[in-house]
Amino acid sequence: MSVANCSAFLEQLDQWMEGERSPAAVAHLRSCKACGNLIADLDSIRDTAPSLAATDPEPSERVWSALRAQLQDEGLIHAAHPGVSDILKRWLRGTFLVLPRPVLAGAYLAALIAVGFVLSGSNGLRNDSNLWMSRMQRSTQPLSASLETEEGAISSMADTNPVVTASLRKSLAAIDNDIALCEKSVREEPQNEFVRDYLYEAYQQKADLIAQVTEGDEGQ
Amino acid sequence: MARTRRTETGEVPEAVSIRLAQQGDAAAFERLYRLHSRRVYSLCLRMVGNTAEAEDLTQEAFLQLFRKIATFRGESAFSTWLHRLAVNVVLMKLRKKSGKETSLEQVTEPDEESGTPRRDFGAIDLRLSGSLDRVNLQRAVDQLPPGYKAAFILHDVQGYEHNEIAEMLGCSIGNSKSQLHKARMRLRDLLQEVVREKAREERRAAGGSED
Amino acid sequence: MSTSCNLSGSLSWKVAGVLVPGLLLLSALPASADKIQRHFKVDARPVVTVHNPNGTITVRAWTKSEVMLIATRATDQVEVDAEQSGNRVDINTRQVSDSASPESTRADYEISVPEDAELQIHDDSGGVNVSNVLGDMNVETIAADVDMADVAGYLTVKTVGGSFQCARCAGRLEVSSITGNFRLIDLRSTYVRAQTSEGNILFTGQFLPNSTYRLKNYNGVIEVRFSPEDSFDLSATSLKGKVHNEAKLVPPSHHHFLPRFGNGLFGSFNSGRAMVELSSFDGTINILKRN
Repeated sequence: MSVANCSAFLEQLDQWMEGERSPAAVAHLRSCKACGNLIADLDSIRDTAPSLAATDPEPSERVWSALRAQLQDEGLIHAAHPGVSDILKRWLRGTFLVLPRPVLAGAYLAALIAVGFVLSGSNGLRNDSNLWMSRMQRSTQPLSASLETEEGAISSMADTNPVVTASLRKSLAAIDNDIALCEKSVREEPQNEFVRDYLYEAYQQKADLIAQVTEGDEGQ
Repeated sequence: MARTRRTETGEVPEAVSIRLAQQGDAAAFERLYRLHSRRVYSLCLRMVGNTAEAEDLTQEAFLQLFRKIATFRGESAFSTWLHRLAVNVVLMKLRKKSGKETSLEQVTEPDEESGTPRRDFGAIDLRLSGSLDRVNLQRAVDQLPPGYKAAFILHDVQGYEHNEIAEMLGCSIGNSKSQLHKARMRLRDLLQEVVREKAREERRAAGGSED
Repeated sequence: MSTSCNLSGSLSWKVAGVLVPGLLLLSALPASADKIQRHFKVDARPVVTVHNPNGTITVRAWTKSEVMLIATRATDQVEVDAEQSGNRVDINTRQVSDSASPESTRADYEISVPEDAELQIHDDSGGVNVSNVLGDMNVETIAADVDMADVAGYLTVKTVGGSFQCARCAGRLEVSSITGNFRLIDLRSTYVRAQTSEGNILFTGQFLPNSTYRLKNYNGVIEVRFSPEDSFDLSATSLKGKVHNEAKLVPPSHHHFLPRFGNGLFGSFNSGRAMVELSSFDGTINILKRN
């Protein structure tokens, strides 16, 4: 490669800065003050640049606070070993608190919080099957009522597409069936944590379904 | 490897924090935020030049990151992924502000596309030597178009390699090199203007005529 | 590969939209279907999002560095927006009128993408078919069935009532449904989590070493078919239902009933290199030899 003049040198300038230096370019640079100045300046710019990072400021603490609040609201973070109440909070934040339909969410929330309170009760409460049963039955009664209200709401929200509506109805009935079976089992075996887990997950699935329907409805 | 990059914060390796964050661990999210927030904020601040906006953009970039963290499988560096999101967020912001498309190809003067100086190279330029300091350089960087600015900050300031930058900017390695080269050339033009202005002031102070 | 460094919108295509006068003629469509084709140049690992309330979405990988969309819409009651923002292509179906019938708002998409594309798909009804794409995928449907073959990446599939079938999927798979059935065939995934409330789950194929398989339902049947060469630790419990097992477990695990676990089986088959957890509330679990 020959570098006969400044234009030819400039054509290779980016390679030069990347460290690719042909003998012809080196020879040109020795004899050309303009190109020498240019290279010296570009070197200075490159060498000065890292000093800008030395004064990089930290963002204010407001950023992390706002970020953390949003992550919590979206249900993305929880404590390292969540208890039932943490899971309930996360789940409720992740679904109902963002729902734009306060009436629907409110009815369901009230019942679920009651159930969540019972599920997350103290060990003493858990071990006292009579007390537990009593609390459980009290809390699931309003839940059953609110679920009926909710079914109507889902139906009215549903898509005009009959295939979609049928699928939602079928799935809603399936979850309600699961919930009914699990509630019955919990009443029969209040100490059985596996049964309680199934019940809890069934509630969560119902919550997810409502969230999904609502989001879809919002998006249209 | 970026020259200033850290891989760990305290005793917890980044990879562990990522895995815990993928499981929703709040402390892990915070560790990842503390580890990377300064560089992301600096990038945003230099790109938009406004602290309030830069903080909002930093928050948005991390939010997008954390929403998707479950899908992170370690194929590229975590910081590369994060910076890619940050650059996207910044460009979206700039696009909204300007009311038009903002891309990394955007340049202020079309004849700079080649990356070669416009002036007749027969004249000898002023050397920057004594006039180049951090403050002047920062002022000049502020005036760069977005694409040049991103490439310059990521490579020369933050120390990322071209292959990493290409991934962050969603372009080829050749494009990253080209953007950086154009950025340095443009900076030199801007800084020379500072040198000339300084010379004019000195002449005025000495009672000489202006050119 | 594109040489562009564009990161924000450079292409915008609105069919039958007022924003593109040149395409206005398309808004006066006859009642019959029309087909439109578009191409988007992309770089490595593009993101393709599709939101289609009603219709089939078929995504295939190809070797070109571009995304090709072939959209077939039933009538002019529905619009198709396809926009590119940098390395992201967003495809969206919009219903023009609220009163339009479902038949008239159907849009079917055939999409070709680079194999490393990341996909985000939402389809209420119709169907989603994806093959040979290796990027991460997130698919959500209500009634639409999802069929995947030879895909990889982090796969997240959520249906309300749609079924899910995956053949030769690799990577990580998480699928959930309420009434959908799952067929998981010859998977290459190292992590599989499948949960459906009232659906059946069929798993047939090798349990890979160092991999985890969690299959769960409330009712219905969970059936896994293993071969004599497989090696796995097994946990199979149905709180209220039955467990049928043809695997010879070590230590010998007899079909037993424990008050807390219901019907359960625990033990290792061969050297126990994979972890298989099958759980049901009221369903039947079958662990059968594969022919």
